Amino acid sequence: MVNLTIDDKQVTAPKTATIYEAAKLNGIKIPILCHDKKLKPFGACRMCLVEVEQMKGRQIPACTTPATEGMIIRTATPDIVKARKMVLELLLLNHPLDCPVCDKSGDCDLQNLTYEYKVNSNRFTDAKFNHQIDYNNPLIERDMNRCVLCGKCARICDEIVGFGALTFIDRGIETKIGCEFDDALNCEFCGSCISVCPVGSLLARPFKHKARFWAMTKHKSVCSYCGTGCNLTLGVKDNKVLTTIYDEDQGFHKGQLCVRGRFGYQFINSDKRLTKPLVRKNGALTESTWDEALELVAARLKGGSSVAALATPRLTNEELALFKKLLVENVGTKNFDHAAGYAHAALTEGFVRSFGTSASSASILDVQKSDLLLVIKTDTYETHPVVGFEINMAVKNKDVKISILSDKRGKLSKLPGANTLVHLPGNEVVILNAIAKTIIDEKLVDASVAGVTGYADLEKMLSAYSADAVASQCGLTAADIKKMASDYATAEKALIIFPVGQAYPGHNADLASAAANLAILTGKYGKEGCGVLCLSEKNNSQGAVDMGFYAQDGGFNAAQILDACSTGAVKTLFIAGENPLVSYPDRKKVKAALDAVEFMVVSELFLTETAAMADVVLPVCSFAEKEGTFTSTDRRVQYIKPAIRAIGQTRTDFKVFADLISKLGGTAPVTAAAQFEEIAATTAGYKALSHVSLRKDGAYAPATASPALVAVQAVPVPAAETGKLSLVVGSVLYHSGTLSQNGEGPMHVCPEGYIELSRPDASASKIAENDIITVSTTNGSMQLKAKVTSRMPAGVVFAPYHFSDAPINTVWNGAAVTSVTLAK
Amino acid sequence: MSDVVAQQATEQEPEIDLSIADAVIDKYIDIPGNLMPVLQGVQDEYGYVPRIVADHIAERLNVYPSQIYGVLTFYAQFHLKPRGRFIIRVCVGTACHVQGATRIVETFFDKLHIGHAETTADLRYTFEKVACLGACGMAPLAMVNDSTYGGMTVQKVDEIVADYNQRPLK
Repeated sequence: MVNLTIDDKQVTAPKTATIYEAAKLNGIKIPILCHDKKLKPFGACRMCLVEVEQMKGRQIPACTTPATEGMIIRTATPDIVKARKMVLELLLLNHPLDCPVCDKSGDCDLQNLTYEYKVNSNRFTDAKFNHQIDYNNPLIERDMNRCVLCGKCARICDEIVGFGALTFIDRGIETKIGCEFDDALNCEFCGSCISVCPVGSLLARPFKHKARFWAMTKHKSVCSYCGTGCNLTLGVKDNKVLTTIYDEDQGFHKGQLCVRGRFGYQFINSDKRLTKPLVRKNGALTESTWDEALELVAARLKGGSSVAALATPRLTNEELALFKKLLVENVGTKNFDHAAGYAHAALTEGFVRSFGTSASSASILDVQKSDLLLVIKTDTYETHPVVGFEINMAVKNKDVKISILSDKRGKLSKLPGANTLVHLPGNEVVILNAIAKTIIDEKLVDASVAGVTGYADLEKMLSAYSADAVASQCGLTAADIKKMASDYATAEKALIIFPVGQAYPGHNADLASAAANLAILTGKYGKEGCGVLCLSEKNNSQGAVDMGFYAQDGGFNAAQILDACSTGAVKTLFIAGENPLVSYPDRKKVKAALDAVEFMVVSELFLTETAAMADVVLPVCSFAEKEGTFTSTDRRVQYIKPAIRAIGQTRTDFKVFADLISKLGGTAPVTAAAQFEEIAATTAGYKALSHVSLRKDGAYAPATASPALVAVQAVPVPAAETGKLSLVVGSVLYHSGTLSQNGEGPMHVCPEGYIELSRPDASASKIAENDIITVSTTNGSMQLKAKVTSRMPAGVVFAPYHFSDAPINTVWNGAAVTSVTLAK
Repeated sequence: MSDVVAQQATEQEPEIDLSIADAVIDKYIDIPGNLMPVLQGVQDEYGYVPRIVADHIAERLNVYPSQIYGVLTFYAQFHLKPRGRFIIRVCVGTACHVQGATRIVETFFDKLHIGHAETTADLRYTFEKVACLGACGMAPLAMVNDSTYGGMTVQKVDEIVADYNQRPLK
């Protein structure tokens, strides 16, 4: 700590602080345009000039000057105010004063400072710029006439997003922010540049002319897409969520969002939302009343174990717990599951046997504190973009090394120094075993392993997995595997990261255990920057696991439930928010099951393909309309409260389940808070938590690890036979599950399914970009648009699974790797 | 990158042989701060920095294409369009200006039908006004590639153009 005097106030600040940060920490505001706490100091705007007595009264920039012991700083002397006024005059010389039509008005740093410093005239004159406004993409408007060249957009795109779409181009007075060859912006459209722009140069087009900043109420919430658990601020007017608002103090990610979080909110107020209950009468779904619909459902739920349920892990913890209570206590069934029944296995089976707990042994905060990240699949960036940003920052700013094991290249493999091993798809476990074998052979095992069970069995099993024996079968060299093993084992701190989800059936319990083995063998868990982080797919996937909403004690899992529907063993199926017809593997089988089941009730936001087959459809609320908690992938429990009133006649799932419990003669907690008290009492790690304590920042539910080494066998998966290709499915950056199809932003950028293939495969089959390709497997065939990229290795094709119009489950039956043929 | 934005039609560039660029990149690939020498090297080879080459450099050096463009537009030494075989530079510095450089410039414009920093369609000439060539005693001054022409007159412009029109393009 250093002691200094700012504006006659004795203050202390950390040694690493700049004058600006020291002042801010102590409640002294220094005006600035080019600073964001996530970015490196830049010193572009000259608004933060201060006087330091030791520096002979010179005016120096507070944002780039380190605070040192004994400094005497004055932040607002008449000279300083005069200088700042001139800076503003000079900025306003070229900045157009079109504030009345600028969406930034009210939230504009330049406008606010102009007002604060009373710059009501300008001593200078010059022409305004006449740059063409970039309207070429549907999400980000770029008006370089308003730009003050603070460089924040270019810096965030480089330092955090790692895309580098924007930079300073040209020179002198001509300087502006632009893209390569002054083209239109064509990037990931995460909108980070919009969030940090201090003026109206970069604007969210979906929000253009929707509301003045001050006319909106701002509601803190949690993103409802992936499991990262990013915090959001929703801008609301007239019961409509109109935008997401940036707040650099929010969440571990400091307000940083991805394209889904920032631009995918429109599903909340979509015209397509269901607003009234629907009941099937004479074969057609017709509008009904809640009373009639719930009576019908309650009557059907009196079927004991012939009732089964599937719930989406997008529901709150309270709802999932209450749903489970309804099913177990009032209906009398154990047949319920979530996430297609397999997407949670890494946690519920893998980590349970390896760490004795169904939770990851690391948090997202460990990413930047580690020395080496071992990432399984480059898809990690696509499935959890904000975790991807953390990885970018770790590698670029903190010199964290990154090793990647993947079946394709991706954005993460472009990081400086990234060691990417592209292997034949489906061989992750084999390679992890080979790495474990190398660690043992090279005597890199940590002493702590002595007390862990299973070492002898593991060592015995691993004898078949020497790097020399399996490398070529996985499409790698033994040296590659050995290097990855020694990099991992010799790093002081190392963290293994892998995504799970409905599109990643190969990321199962075995993968989780194989990864955990590495951490346990080398003692890299339970410490800062170490562990195994399983990135769960949906916003409350971890919560669904914590609430125990999956098949246990002999209950049917999702696949068995569908089978039982087909055989008639399950007569009533309650689907809360899942869309199996699109997102579960093997569409034919799912369709047959849903056709066969006697009675199906679906509670949904939208009339999905699955809901359209139901006998009763219950319109329920989105996350913005309800109270409850979500548990992020690293067990951060976060509280949400309603930002808007329920749309139409929709009710929260919580109310639906509570009403059904009453109708079945039970008693349900009246409020989500009361339900959470029950959860806290019965769930490991949740004990100290309550809605009140979570209100501000949320809290981690601690998980204690008791490690065990688990021998997991795996057979190398060969490359596809001649004439065929290996299909791997997955998530695409712009989407999450099937919900994001109702967000305008994601659909603007990525509106349809496609099949991505390598250049060699494309030229061998004479396939060009955007050709319509017939994709066939033993399961069926479908048509998809071709996308030819350099990231795919020859022989491997990739398809995203989110799209109702091009459901990949037509050809995909849930295998990690599917053999396909492509024809034009 | 998404395909949401229709790629702007890029001007038809002549066939570019990327192996020439690769040879330059190979020479500097392991040196930190290699972007400038690589860009200078490829410009020496191609006469300018074609877009496809800039993109190729971005890919191989793992630098953002936008950053390369930032560098290319910051330094006056880089050119993004094909340049003429003969670069005509006319000084419009103070000494040349008072000696009538404006007339010389205008005469070149008339003769070549191009303006400042432009290139004739046949890629024979590129014309540039420059601030000072450092030989004020010879004002008004013009240069064609490395040849210097002092005491320029309108007649001399005719002679120079007639002379260089005869020279081979390759």
